[in-house]
Amino acid sequence: MPLTIGLLLGLSFVVSVLALAFLIWAVATRQITMQKGDAATVFGAEGAGHPDVDGTHLFDTTGIDRISARPVLVLIAAAIFWLVVGSLFGVGASLKLHWPDWLTGSAPLTFGRMRTLHLNLVIYGWLSQVGIAGMMWILPRIFRTPLKMPGLPLAGAVIWNLTVAAGGWAIATGWTDGEEWLEIPWQLDILLALAGVFFVLPMIQTARKREVHHIYVTGWYFLGAMIWFPFLFIVANLPGIHYGVEEATTNWWFAHNVLGLWLTPLGVGTAYYFIPKIIGKPVYSYAVSLLGFWGLALFYSQVGIHHLIGGPVPTWVVTLSVVHSVMMFIPVIAVAVNQHVTVARNTWALKQSLPLRFIAFGALMYTFASFQGSIEALRSVNTITHFTHYTIGHAHLGAYAFVSIVMFGSVYHIMPRLLGREFAWPGLIRAHFWLVVLGFAIYFFALSIGGVLQGLAMLDATRPFAESVILMKPYLEARSIGGSMMTLGHILFALNFIGILLARPGTAAKPVVAE
Amino acid sequence: MTRKPTSSDHIVDEKFEPWERNGRMPLPVVWVAVALAIWGTGTLLTTSGGAPETAVEAAVQQDRPVDAPDSGAALFAANCATCHQPNGSGVRLAVPPLRGSEFPAQGPELVANVLLRGIDGPIRVDGHDYDGHMPSFSAAFGDAEIAELASYVAATFGDRDDGVDTATVADLRARAVGQGTWSGGEALAAAYPGLPPQPAFSSASVTPVSADVSALIFEGRDDVWACASCHGDLGQGVENTPRLSGLSADYIAKQLRDFQTGTRANEHMSFVAKGLTEADIAGLGAYYAGLSVPSTAAPILGGDLKRGETLALVGDWDLGVPACFSCHGPSGFGVAPNFPALSAQQAPYTASQLAAWAGGHRANSPLSLMDQISKGLSTDDRRAVADYLASLPAVPAGSTGAVAKEGDGHDL
Amino acid sequence: MNRYLPLALLAFGILAFATLMLVIAPGVQIARHSVPPQLEPYTEQQARGRAQYVGLGCVYCHSQQPRSPDQAPDGERGWGRPAVAADYVYDQPHQLGTMRTGPDLLNVGARLPSEAWQLTHLYQPRAIFGWSVMPAYPFLFEIKPAAEPGDTVVVLPEAFAPEAGVVVARQEALDLTAYLLSLDRTYPAPADALRDEGYATMESGS
Repeated sequence: MPLTIGLLLGLSFVVSVLALAFLIWAVATRQITMQKGDAATVFGAEGAGHPDVDGTHLFDTTGIDRISARPVLVLIAAAIFWLVVGSLFGVGASLKLHWPDWLTGSAPLTFGRMRTLHLNLVIYGWLSQVGIAGMMWILPRIFRTPLKMPGLPLAGAVIWNLTVAAGGWAIATGWTDGEEWLEIPWQLDILLALAGVFFVLPMIQTARKREVHHIYVTGWYFLGAMIWFPFLFIVANLPGIHYGVEEATTNWWFAHNVLGLWLTPLGVGTAYYFIPKIIGKPVYSYAVSLLGFWGLALFYSQVGIHHLIGGPVPTWVVTLSVVHSVMMFIPVIAVAVNQHVTVARNTWALKQSLPLRFIAFGALMYTFASFQGSIEALRSVNTITHFTHYTIGHAHLGAYAFVSIVMFGSVYHIMPRLLGREFAWPGLIRAHFWLVVLGFAIYFFALSIGGVLQGLAMLDATRPFAESVILMKPYLEARSIGGSMMTLGHILFALNFIGILLARPGTAAKPVVAE
Repeated sequence: MTRKPTSSDHIVDEKFEPWERNGRMPLPVVWVAVALAIWGTGTLLTTSGGAPETAVEAAVQQDRPVDAPDSGAALFAANCATCHQPNGSGVRLAVPPLRGSEFPAQGPELVANVLLRGIDGPIRVDGHDYDGHMPSFSAAFGDAEIAELASYVAATFGDRDDGVDTATVADLRARAVGQGTWSGGEALAAAYPGLPPQPAFSSASVTPVSADVSALIFEGRDDVWACASCHGDLGQGVENTPRLSGLSADYIAKQLRDFQTGTRANEHMSFVAKGLTEADIAGLGAYYAGLSVPSTAAPILGGDLKRGETLALVGDWDLGVPACFSCHGPSGFGVAPNFPALSAQQAPYTASQLAAWAGGHRANSPLSLMDQISKGLSTDDRRAVADYLASLPAVPAGSTGAVAKEGDGHDL
Repeated sequence: MNRYLPLALLAFGILAFATLMLVIAPGVQIARHSVPPQLEPYTEQQARGRAQYVGLGCVYCHSQQPRSPDQAPDGERGWGRPAVAADYVYDQPHQLGTMRTGPDLLNVGARLPSEAWQLTHLYQPRAIFGWSVMPAYPFLFEIKPAAEPGDTVVVLPEAFAPEAGVVVARQEALDLTAYLLSLDRTYPAPADALRDEGYATMESGS
């Protein structure tokens, strides 16, 4: 082992740990904390530090919302379209794993392409767009500043959606960059990056020209994500410079950071905004939220190589990622303290607000997904779960049960305020919730249990490989049932969305309430 | 959780925007962070440095001859005594003795020549005829080792103390190129006139294959893939596709019939065996039994060769495992019809079959002998013994020219 | 935490550092290792076949990275010795994979070197493995009334053969098979082999 690499490795972890220690010290001694003055600028002279019982923290943001409404609406509409299409491909791919002779006649419908279409359409078409829509709704509100350059995101939305469609076509016809999470050809990625600029520029401009000095915790996550994702996307897609195993480490550095430094900040930031917003009470601790954010940045950014444990990559880089994966306990606990405590003390709100049900459930799944991920990265556990469907279950716990479900809640909260009318069929919202929660439970437990059994079978040389395939079949069938329920939920979601779009303008905006 | 709703427990404040209170950091969070930081540093220190001897390195090292230039006695004990026995007495009717044999008495040069080229043909030693199947050690040993070993054998069993030096062995090796195996005692007697009369070598010992069987082996049929397309042009096997050359005809035929009836389960082979006639089976058995091909196997599973040698030679009675060679013959060269040759078999194949017996997925051995034995072996033991057997030279020796020819082909 | 620029710079710096650790440093280390002499670049046909492999998404079910015996019995299954970084120098895009819905394929060319077998298996995996869940790829083949000179006819048992005529491999199937047969890293691992030895370290207890 070259000395320089050993040194770098030590340096990396020491830097992370020292930074964390400094943060804890600084927070404990109130070196960085929200000053009374800051709070006053945000919340008005009287508000800071007191429970919000008297309406001190109330602001009329309708003027601000009106500016962001159009791009947000367009992005949400497009995102829901891709959600439905992407889910259908997901169900198709799932069915093909236990009906292998179904639809084998043409190349675009083969499993390897349908699965890829599912992944790319839901990541780039659904999650990224609905997340950006959420950012465009929330950032102007927490900054008390109307969205700057509101025309750009519309242009961005057009380019983005055309490119996602073109990317889907490329994958269906076999034109692909060939790496997981990076399949869309790099020529098309240039357009995605351009559209990304059109999305990010107005939001950064809004942040820089904001009316309030203080940045609410959601703002950190969103601003961080807008720095991280473009960097990740461009470096990983640079054509021609990555090859062999180096390409594999780049691939997983990217793929895991898409989850960790893009989808997670979108989901956590959105939950951080809507949980206190809907309940009407502030989050518990500024210090804890700092720990959560910087812990995420420091540790999540280096976990990617746990996808290559036991593979042809240097031992030290694998160990580095394993250690950082486990360190993720810290920021996750921090976020859990801030979010779950707020929800647990106000369970009444879950009865009153359907969007909060989605968001609180999603936030809880963030905790579970991250704990599971940390445990899964341990070599002793990974040796069983790696290469099995367990990983697929875990990926969906993070990207679906956490981020997607938070986004469902976000859309249900935003739409009535954006359009000034209520959802036509509140019953469908409840049906949507239970379909995706139950469907996901079936999906997740089937793949997790089946995956462990599959992994144990593969580790036992006295059992032929065939056994690991055969024993998975009932679990894969259960996954198709769960996935179909989730997709049905998405279709109800889309119907309800169309319903509120087409309804005649009526009553003023009201929160969606359960009963 | 179920407390009475108060006046603030309802959603009215549509215009409320969230903010953070200055709650204290809960102490348990700090403890968890400190504990994880300590664990992380410890893990990085212990697991990121280079492991002293890694599995890959171990596997790489095992590709080379295990015993570096040792004394002749040590080389003999490790490589010759498994067949010729430690005291050189041989095995009655199977392995010619060295003690009392006329051959070592001809001098160390003859011994070196036999070591380099091997013997494949009838041989008469001390008045008894044997079916000579001496492997060639030309690839396994360097000149120095051959010189040590030949000198030791000639001195111990032939009373010839003159010895042979490395240069002479190098010269013999150069002259042996392209000569192939000694065709029994007759060829040796021609080169060394001091030897007693030897039985005649019959070059027609290999049964000719019919055109049908030949086409089956090399071209396949409408519903059968060519045998050679997986097992190699010379039946040498690769990875978990077994070496067939040198297996007894009866053994091959029994396996093919077992594949036909489903007594032995293997998807590839039952696909093939379904399309075979009795005549095909007999022809294939005869063809592969008659092939002499040098080993292409190597210990590639990272197994412990010393442990493998112990299992093969003496077994492990604590596990209820007898020595492999007690049934499969000295040096594992096979005892027809029921005990196939093990030497030079591809290590992944041997290991996978042991694993299949242990897991109950292969159950066609006579008297279920292998089921019990395999269940006693651990994963490491299976790899160890498979690797050790793969490190043994092939019997019969075959000619090095054959490998060169097959190396040029596409279907290795 | 109330100023935009420091927040942005620090966030960027942390990711840049992660990039140094996970992308640049391993990249430099890997690039220092020499190419094994026995490893051949892909021929034109094999490269075309590799494009098929990538385009059809084989990687989503098949890994190409045998594990070490300290961790898993990949060697006993005939999947080959533990893969090392130098085995992949000609691979772009890499196809290491993260799933084993099907077996590892890094050495499938050594393990199953028969072109005829591969074609049968691609046309209908269940003709060989009744339990297989691999997709069939009939669109890589065509059914002809009779084989023409130069055609490669697929070996099929009666139950899977067409009612009339023969199944002939299209060029795409032949290319893909050529790539599969080229997958052979059974040469000895180079002495300076680079791979994750974390499990060996765990076993030796250090």
